[in-house]
Amino acid sequence: MENAAENLSSLYGQTLYLDKLFSYCPGCGHGIVTRLVAETIEAMGIREKTVSVVGIGCGGFSHHYLDIDAIEAMHGRSPSVATGFKLASPENFVFTYQGDGDMGAIGLADLLHAANKGVPITCLMINNTVFGMTGGQMSPTSLPGQVTATTQKGRDTRLHGYPILVPEMMRAMPGVKYLARESVADAAAIRRSGKSLRRAFECQEKNLGFAFVEFIVPCPTGLKKSVREAYDWCKNEMVSYFKPGVFKDETE
Amino acid sequence: MEFKARTVKAPTKKAPAREGAHQESARPGNRAPRGRNGQGLFGDPKIARNAMIEETLFLKNTETFAEAMVRCGVRYHFAYPITPASDVMKYSAVLLPKYGGRMIQMESELAVANALAGCACTGKLGATSTSGPGMSLMQETISFMAGAQLPCLMLDSMRVGPGDGDIIGAQSNYYQATRGGGHGDYRVIVLAPDSGQSVVDLMPEAVKLAYAYRTPVLFVMDGVTAQMTETSTFPEPHDYAADFDTSPWRYTGTKDHPKRFLLTGSYNHAQGYELNERLRKKFETIKEKEQRWEDEYLDDAELLLVGFGIHGRMIRELTAQLRSQNLKVGRIKPITLWPFPDRAFDKLSPSLKNVLVVEMNHGQMIDDVRLALNGRAPTHFLGKTGGDTPLRTLAEIKAKALELLGG
Repeated sequence: MENAAENLSSLYGQTLYLDKLFSYCPGCGHGIVTRLVAETIEAMGIREKTVSVVGIGCGGFSHHYLDIDAIEAMHGRSPSVATGFKLASPENFVFTYQGDGDMGAIGLADLLHAANKGVPITCLMINNTVFGMTGGQMSPTSLPGQVTATTQKGRDTRLHGYPILVPEMMRAMPGVKYLARESVADAAAIRRSGKSLRRAFECQEKNLGFAFVEFIVPCPTGLKKSVREAYDWCKNEMVSYFKPGVFKDETE
Repeated sequence: MEFKARTVKAPTKKAPAREGAHQESARPGNRAPRGRNGQGLFGDPKIARNAMIEETLFLKNTETFAEAMVRCGVRYHFAYPITPASDVMKYSAVLLPKYGGRMIQMESELAVANALAGCACTGKLGATSTSGPGMSLMQETISFMAGAQLPCLMLDSMRVGPGDGDIIGAQSNYYQATRGGGHGDYRVIVLAPDSGQSVVDLMPEAVKLAYAYRTPVLFVMDGVTAQMTETSTFPEPHDYAADFDTSPWRYTGTKDHPKRFLLTGSYNHAQGYELNERLRKKFETIKEKEQRWEDEYLDDAELLLVGFGIHGRMIRELTAQLRSQNLKVGRIKPITLWPFPDRAFDKLSPSLKNVLVVEMNHGQMIDDVRLALNGRAPTHFLGKTGGDTPLRTLAEIKAKALELLGG
């Protein structure tokens, strides 16, 4: 085991706590995104100046596995907290890590205005289509007909509208310099996620403007599915609605 | 928003009339500061403005608040327009760049409060200014900042409530200011100036309190005091926030410290208990050490007059007037609304027969007065809110005082 840990350290360095067990549920997509964040910070050598502003919900756990300073903001407010922080301390690297409830529901205004201002921060939205921590309630990104704790007969689009497409809303904003949606549905998608994350982080390092990446991930517990079923559902259902792609890359 | 390199011009010796009410003194020795190029809005904001000297200015008191806070170290002011507080941001938008700082207009008071919290996490001094409805929107984050032990300055330029209320001045937010306003067991330090000069005089104290106790400090001004234009003398600028070492707690990366994280929630029940105990002890210390008030003639007063803000100022005049007629009147003007100066009431003598509390509301501070008196004397109230002038006139207060003295 010691050797294994050493090998992992050569890959993840100091950023990821290798000795700490995730409190994410088995199969949770957060584990993958959190690891990608650690890898990217390590690869860019920015650990010591990085500050993470995390949301409320399972995404708030992310910094517990990372050896970086972190601020747990109030629900949805991470982009505003990050804006104030970056203004007062522009030498820090600041990213937010939020779920689809935190960012797409209660904090949508904070996100869109930070994006529209072109604040040089990086915002990450981990979209699993449910409020995971509170027990799998409907989120703004729940799919039409999706059964959740609060839509027992499935999301009724006449009542709840359609799943919100967050990055698409920011396309026309000149202050947004990197904009992408990725998924963790399979190995190839995870590799693309890592690349997008790197671009989004570099966008801030170059002080170009706002950068955003949405990650489509499964929440087996919230979706009431086995891990395998949840990944299949992510690959087939979620990704067909939330189409991955790089919407904008003005980082060169 | 532009992020290109941006030159910040040094303030010139001639007063730029278009740049708001702020006047640059042309006295000898007022050297132009050494300006430096900034690096865009999110670049290095260190611009020296070391040329400012003591000045007497004729300003609206909201502008006085802006001038005073900047002179005492505020470099980041987050705000959203609302009457009667908008003049603070209008003034600071012009003034702050001269100090290498910035006023940022956010999209709502929710965003304002949270950007302020983010700024506070860096250890740097930020401020906000608002009025009733804006204050209500900020409450969640004020609770957050109190829990997270983040220092900042705030101004509530109080107007008539409830709901959208009225833009005219009032003292309607006494409860909200002094009871915490948001969720949880917390308090913020509340300072109630009654004039432009008292804003200037309290400002260094406010910054020191915010940093010494690492907690939000709230100024409350009734809209009458806030909208008044008068003369205030400002001392030389001094960055009081910079006197405090924030390196033991600020969240600016692990370069010089092991991982830190700001947590106001709890992952186990013990954490929730520890956080609350820590805060309780701090608030008890503040309550014991930081009560501030003004009093006169308590040793033989038969009638005690109590008021804060504009009514505190009127009562000072009235007390002098009634004393000149040999009427045994005393007064207490709370300067800290929280902690409420209940120690002032310990100085009262058995001669006390009646207490009159005057407020621009339907009776909020009177609760604290009654608690401090603990049944020692009957407590009467005079106050109103809403309408053209929510203020009770000096004649009305005098008539009520005379009635109580005669009775």
